[in-house]
Amino acid sequence: MIRALGLASGYDSRPVVRDVNLAVRSGEFVAVIGPNASGKTTLLRTLASLLRPLGGVVYLEGRPLTELKRREIARRVGVVLTESVKPGRLTVFELVALGRYPYTGPLGRLSDNDRAEVMRALRDVGVEHLCDEVFSELSDGQRQKVMIARALAQDPRVLILDEPVTFLDPKARVDILLSLRRICRERHIAVLASMHEIELALRLADRLLVVHNGFVESFDSPEEFVAKSGPEALYGLDGDANFSAVHMTMELRHYPIRQPVFVIAGAGTGALVYRMLSRLGYPIITGVLHRGDIDYSVASLLGARVVSEEPFRPVSREALEEAQEAAGESFAAIYTSPPIGPMNSANQLLAKLLASCGVPLIVYGGGSVDGAWRKTTKLSEVASALEELEQHRPRSGPRQVKPSRQSTAQLNTGAGPMAPRDT
Amino acid sequence: MEIRAGACHRVVGAARHKARLELLLTMIVVLLSLFVFSILIGGGTLGLGEAFAAIFGWSSPENNMIMNSVRFPRALASLLCGAALGVSGAVLQALFRNPLADPYILGVSAGASLTLALSILLGVTLGWWGAYNPYSLYLSAFVGALAITLLMMIVSGFVRSVTTILVAGIMVGYVAYAVTSIVQALVEIERLRVFTYWILGSFSGARWSILGPGLPVLVACVVGSMLIAKPLDALLLGEDYARSMGMRMRLARLGLVTLSSVSVAMVTTIAGPIGFIGLCAPYIARQTLGTPAHRALLPASALAGAILAMSADLAARLIARPVELPITAVTSLFGGPLVIYLLLRGRSI
Repeated sequence: MIRALGLASGYDSRPVVRDVNLAVRSGEFVAVIGPNASGKTTLLRTLASLLRPLGGVVYLEGRPLTELKRREIARRVGVVLTESVKPGRLTVFELVALGRYPYTGPLGRLSDNDRAEVMRALRDVGVEHLCDEVFSELSDGQRQKVMIARALAQDPRVLILDEPVTFLDPKARVDILLSLRRICRERHIAVLASMHEIELALRLADRLLVVHNGFVESFDSPEEFVAKSGPEALYGLDGDANFSAVHMTMELRHYPIRQPVFVIAGAGTGALVYRMLSRLGYPIITGVLHRGDIDYSVASLLGARVVSEEPFRPVSREALEEAQEAAGESFAAIYTSPPIGPMNSANQLLAKLLASCGVPLIVYGGGSVDGAWRKTTKLSEVASALEELEQHRPRSGPRQVKPSRQSTAQLNTGAGPMAPRDT
Repeated sequence: MEIRAGACHRVVGAARHKARLELLLTMIVVLLSLFVFSILIGGGTLGLGEAFAAIFGWSSPENNMIMNSVRFPRALASLLCGAALGVSGAVLQALFRNPLADPYILGVSAGASLTLALSILLGVTLGWWGAYNPYSLYLSAFVGALAITLLMMIVSGFVRSVTTILVAGIMVGYVAYAVTSIVQALVEIERLRVFTYWILGSFSGARWSILGPGLPVLVACVVGSMLIAKPLDALLLGEDYARSMGMRMRLARLGLVTLSSVSVAMVTTIAGPIGFIGLCAPYIARQTLGTPAHRALLPASALAGAILAMSADLAARLIARPVELPITAVTSLFGGPLVIYLLLRGRSI
């Protein structure tokens, strides 16, 4: 539908983006991502023929842009730009009707067909009920939808949007992006949208056009891009944030400013606790977690020290001992009441053991452990309990928590198929 | 649901359309009554019947003369010049995307005055052409108006601020006036009095000799402007959007600048530089119509401009009777405060 060959674009003969080769099919949603000032806007403006290419050719339905008249281009390409529009007291209908510009005669009179197209465009983005409202009195999200409807009224084959959702609230963002994808498929138009919302782009776009340092770095599906550890390299996230391929999301790393806390979790019961601890600045030690457990991936992303076990294997004695040793460095432990089964019954044992060795144990989430220091179902109470402990028990140096003969015996029975379940 | 939204829109649209039409008709009625009033009032007051008889030459020779060589051309000139100013104000405001754009404020009228003065100077002292050859006057005024409009467009390409452009325009105007004053001092002394009056703006000099050749062009400008509503509407969204919708920017800009420059050149040649009508007429039109859509806005601006010019001319004649005031003295009375109000409010109209 739209194709670029060796395209170079920029201002005043200074290229901002070079060697762009791309082809976008009808019905395909392409998200253009890349850091600020990487040349996304310049590239989009050139594709929309608002900027003359410095080199190379843009083809529209197989014909070079330079061979097409402005009016012909306008019937094929619709744009939504970042600049704010101040059309006075123009109504939504009047504004969207401007999109019929390349179809109307010299006087700009709307035919019945033009009116129908305007209503169809309004309906496609779900704002037909606003058609008699004054545009400038709408909310930001509604205004953006109207601007998209205006571009759609041109009945384009290609829709080019520059950061269509950047200043909108999350609902409006999702709303607009989802309707864009639907419209793109229903109307069989090629959509190119630059965006900074990388996590939304990964979930939504058919392909990602990654622009970096003035070049197109990759033009792949989101999954392939992530598989190549794309986002981390793209935004240079060294240490401060991690990108999780499994969750397709960014995690922030907080600087630890407090004493370490040991967490016994599993099966997702620890995810929120980890996040809270990380945000509050507690270094996290956790175990024993099976590799591939959701808690395992969350804790690793947050930079926790994780004592782990092979997937689908009962927790081994070595792992348990390692966990006990690691727990010795913490000033408190949290048990997040994970479901207990044959594979992880050692964790329940570990909790009892820590409690009996004098580590203050906070039980969160409705479980029960003998010798627990505090029991709660509220995260805020977990946080305040930790504060309390921190104030009253200043750091006392690493504590030795030796596996006892008793615990080892229990471990062996606990690994059996009839292991007791925590309730 | 879908059908209802469309139908509902159609009803609202029709109601709006009717209201706008009624408003335009009201303005036409007001304008016509002002026109009648204007030809009735003068040194001696004529009766209604007498006046109309005089227009067609059926009254006493004296009345016929007054009507045909003074009052009728004057009323016609103020009507058409006001309409042309209203239209060129609306065009400039769309082109500059600035509700404060106006040929007087942007210095366009001053530019036209300057080249007019130069033309008169050259015509009189060097004898290249008669001092008051209407064609050379119109042409030289057009050159000045066009030059300043283009200059201001270049300036507005560099600065985005509405008020900076305003100040730049006013300064350009001052420079042009300064040069005009110098030229004026060089022109033969007996022409000076007329010239001084003209430079302040007045319809008192409107005679067929000047008005005649310009009349068709002036009418063409006002009527022709109704054809440019489409590009002007597209410009409401800014140049990028206008281009993305298929507007040929360079061509449109050229057309709009020419139209506005021709109108201002005509008006300045006939009546001198007249302030603020180009600013107020589109403002009034927008406020009363409640829309910036140019298909309604342009005729309303033309009508509002004509009404303003005719009332200002009447006021200039009546306030200090028998002494006549320059028309800009009257228009500034309402134009100046409006500019200040718009600046203080600081948002788009």
